[in-house]
Amino acid sequence: MPGKIINNSFDALVIGGGIAGGEAALNIANNGFKVLIIEKDLSIGGKMILLSKVFPTLDCSACITTPKVSEISRHPGITIFTGSEVKNIAKIKENSFEAEVVRNPRYVNVDDCTGCQLCEEACPVLVPDQYQYNLVGRKAAFIPHSIASPRAAAIDIENCTLCGACEKVCPAKCIDFTQETETYHLKIKTVVLATGFNLFDPLKIPRYGFGQFKNVITSMQMERQLAPTRPFSTILRPGDGKVPDKIAYVLCTGSRDATIGNPICSQICCMYSIKQAQLLMGALPMADVTIYYINIRSFGKGFEEFYDQAKGMGVNFIKGKIGKISETDKGNLILRYEDINENIVKETEHDMVVLSVGVLPNPENSSFFPNEQLKLDPFNFVYQTDCLASPALTSIHGVFVAGTASGPMDIPDSILSAGAASSEAISYLTQKK
Amino acid sequence: MNKKLGVYICHCGGNISDYVDVEQVKKAIESEEGVFLAKTTMFACSDSSQKEMVEDIKKNELDGIVVASCSPKLHLLTFRAVAERANINKYNYVHANIREQSSWAHSDDKTGATEKAVFLVKAAISKARYAESLEPIKIKSKKAVAVIGGGVAGMRAAIELSDMGCPVTLIEREPFVGGRVSQFDILFTTYETGKDLVTRLYNNLLARNNISVYTGAEVIENSGSIGDFKLTIKITPRYIMDRCNEGRLQKAIDACPVEVPDPFNFNITNRKAIYHNFPSEYPHKPVIDIENCTRCGECEKICESVDFSQKEEIIDINVGSVLMATGFDPYTPKDGEFGFNQINNVVTLPQFKRILALSNEPLIYNTRAIKHIAYIYCVGSRQVEGENKYCSRYCCTSVIHASIMAKKKFGNIFNYHFNRGIRTYGKQEVLYNESLKSGDVYLQSYEDDPPVVTQQGNKIVVTVNDILTGKKQMAVEADLVVLVTGMVPRADNSVGSLFKLPKGRDNFFNEIHMKLRPVETVIDGITISGACQGPKNILESSNSALSAATKSFSYVSKGELELEPIVAEIDKNQCTWCGACAEACPFDAIKKIKDGDKEIAMVNNSVCKGCGMCLPVCPTDVINLIAYSNREIESMIDALAGS
Repeated sequence: MPGKIINNSFDALVIGGGIAGGEAALNIANNGFKVLIIEKDLSIGGKMILLSKVFPTLDCSACITTPKVSEISRHPGITIFTGSEVKNIAKIKENSFEAEVVRNPRYVNVDDCTGCQLCEEACPVLVPDQYQYNLVGRKAAFIPHSIASPRAAAIDIENCTLCGACEKVCPAKCIDFTQETETYHLKIKTVVLATGFNLFDPLKIPRYGFGQFKNVITSMQMERQLAPTRPFSTILRPGDGKVPDKIAYVLCTGSRDATIGNPICSQICCMYSIKQAQLLMGALPMADVTIYYINIRSFGKGFEEFYDQAKGMGVNFIKGKIGKISETDKGNLILRYEDINENIVKETEHDMVVLSVGVLPNPENSSFFPNEQLKLDPFNFVYQTDCLASPALTSIHGVFVAGTASGPMDIPDSILSAGAASSEAISYLTQKK
Repeated sequence: MNKKLGVYICHCGGNISDYVDVEQVKKAIESEEGVFLAKTTMFACSDSSQKEMVEDIKKNELDGIVVASCSPKLHLLTFRAVAERANINKYNYVHANIREQSSWAHSDDKTGATEKAVFLVKAAISKARYAESLEPIKIKSKKAVAVIGGGVAGMRAAIELSDMGCPVTLIEREPFVGGRVSQFDILFTTYETGKDLVTRLYNNLLARNNISVYTGAEVIENSGSIGDFKLTIKITPRYIMDRCNEGRLQKAIDACPVEVPDPFNFNITNRKAIYHNFPSEYPHKPVIDIENCTRCGECEKICESVDFSQKEEIIDINVGSVLMATGFDPYTPKDGEFGFNQINNVVTLPQFKRILALSNEPLIYNTRAIKHIAYIYCVGSRQVEGENKYCSRYCCTSVIHASIMAKKKFGNIFNYHFNRGIRTYGKQEVLYNESLKSGDVYLQSYEDDPPVVTQQGNKIVVTVNDILTGKKQMAVEADLVVLVTGMVPRADNSVGSLFKLPKGRDNFFNEIHMKLRPVETVIDGITISGACQGPKNILESSNSALSAATKSFSYVSKGELELEPIVAEIDKNQCTWCGACAEACPFDAIKKIKDGDKEIAMVNNSVCKGCGMCLPVCPTDVINLIAYSNREIESMIDALAGS
């Protein structure tokens, strides 16, 4: 491994800087412990910082996440490594782990960067913007998104042509192509896994036409279109930039479906789809929104009322699983399904389709502990060894799990789960003092 | 003094700027008296904007700031911290809410929304001109927590608090700990029984020396507040001595001639007046139900541990925080609701679980052999007419699990699920799959066309227009009808009323903010956990209990707390005690005290919320609300009125 090696020690290592990891880190640090957050992305805030509004209160997600994120980044007891990865963690003895962490170069001195975006303007390279879920492009020298933390530029070295244009325009002289990978050897006492989830890739269901029909998008792409940091000023279908007026949601895309290897329910898709439908009714008052579902699972506090509210606003709910999607020559989509209420197979045309993609485990969890057995459940989420009384315990003593690393859950449940993980970690650290 | 103010007007993405022309607002207020600089910002709350504000304040030596953005409920603390980081007193920051109060409220009228936002910002600027620097009120906080409720959530929270090094008093109203879970038999997903789980937790409690457990105990009074709750606890006697002979007590139970319906088994069986619910229950000694006891003395004759001379005890405790874990009640159907109490063999889900736990093969109930079981879902939940609009969350999984257990235990059982859309969310879906594979029949209807239960001679028939088969009318002859009843708030909410805990639309206790402050209540120092906050399964209850434990611990761990200085202050020289303010106070913060030889009203600063209810009722106008003085409010009114 090239680059320099740095030794350091922390009380707790939190892997993942999303809402669960952030909440856990804050709780632990507020009790006087030294915490390190490792985030592989360029910004902390996880998926939540990219959402539009959140159900069932319709709070603006960025408005809830950004103050948390800035509290985390300012906390004297919390150190954050973004763009970093945990290579391996070895248990040395009870209450003591050694972790190897690799900090990838950002090629920008974050402390000096003012976020002026001149480098972005100067950079000639255009690639798909992963933070807008490929709806638009970004440069190779770029700020991840407008509410990123840190809000500093980064160089996407894989796509960079090393033309030096950014370096020339940077007024703070903070672009530094000589940065190297740093490897940290850390002594830590406890680990919190808050590695989050992956979204289902709908390419795995070719009959829905994602990737082939341009006006079939994922729910995360719609989420970006509805978010305050959205790529366009209104809702557009990607095929031709037309404002859609007949939008369909396909629930259970990649959930409750043994044929693609995920038999479980993702727990959030019904509600986020209902939320998006309500937001669409506001953004596009003339549009029809139809949600195709197997069962609507509005089970949480205030959820059933939120579902009723959507029905009251005029969102159509059709009980029927979509079998197949085909495209017309105008770029519209024909959805084939069994309408359970009418007991017939039907075809309906929409001009935009949103696939409500489900929650999958993050496969990285099993790679952190080469010498220990981190047990996974049958669905490859982190196994909870005492799931009724101590849901944060894992098969490794001193390693706790927070948020969706242990299974699908919504934001309130993730935060409570992070509360539980941090509580266990604090007790663990208190008793081992 | 002429203050130098900075004003920041937030776009909130588009939440504000889609309806309010923020640039126009900026122009309209730039030349207001005291405004040194005015800026618009995409997200005032973002890290970069916060940094910019700090720099502006330091560079320009501003005396105060006004932030016009969302509700202060969301970001008051954020911008106070900005002020502090810039070394100005945080009470020199004033907030204007132009999102909830303008852009969202008037999304149909952009001109009007902009105009209103201008006035709101001008009012905030006026207030900022008169804002005074304030210091927080510091109080001592007792390092101890009271946990109310000894179910899984309460016990779990108590154990965690103890492990963090915090003394705990656990107060359980029933004579035994364990709560609702002790009534459950085999649990999903671990397949341990409710009794095992409860026993495991109780043993954990006993192993810790900083937890006191009181059973048969109720909080009857509180005279304190955050950091210093003074609770009075009434303890009902068990009428059994501490050192007791278990063998002889069992004989005493057998000898008791009284038989009353057993609430532990939801009245499907009877128990004696001296009883325990199950032999391994904690505490490890029975109790005498004095209301039903005839004082015949039979038990006393057999066992010397029986002691009718025990008296009710009153104890006082002092804690820094209170953690509520009072749980739920199962919904009780009304007479005639799906045949309940009118047709034999119509039972509720909790009763069904007790029947399964208590029965041995073959399954017989009310002398009828049970082979065909109909389950009617959403009884008392998702009501079209009725109070309970909410979904009870746990029941789909719970009843499917029970129906699978029934098949496993008794074989030869046929299950028919009359549901309204199965909600086995997350990994619980595997249970639904297992049930489908085992041949259970699922029939579905919508809320406007529920199934009907009728008695036809000796038969019980459930009919439904099943939407899964094109609304065909289906009829099932059932030996047992199980009403899948949901969770409702505790009928006896006296402890909630005692602390004046607010309730949500669903009548469960309400948190401050579902995502930002999910276990805190508006009553400072009181946290909520488990199903008293809303329906939860056991895993979810444990998560919330642990979160609440951490939060309660944070109130007491440092031994000192800082409180908001925005409180009412009464001019003691002018007060003549009429009691009107104490009457108007919703938080019981005002008490009558003696000041020399006269009686005056006195505000308890750690209870006062600064709501201002006492101000207008004072006939002599001697109450001042700090940070909302008459001068500040009048200047705001002038600004709003455009004068």
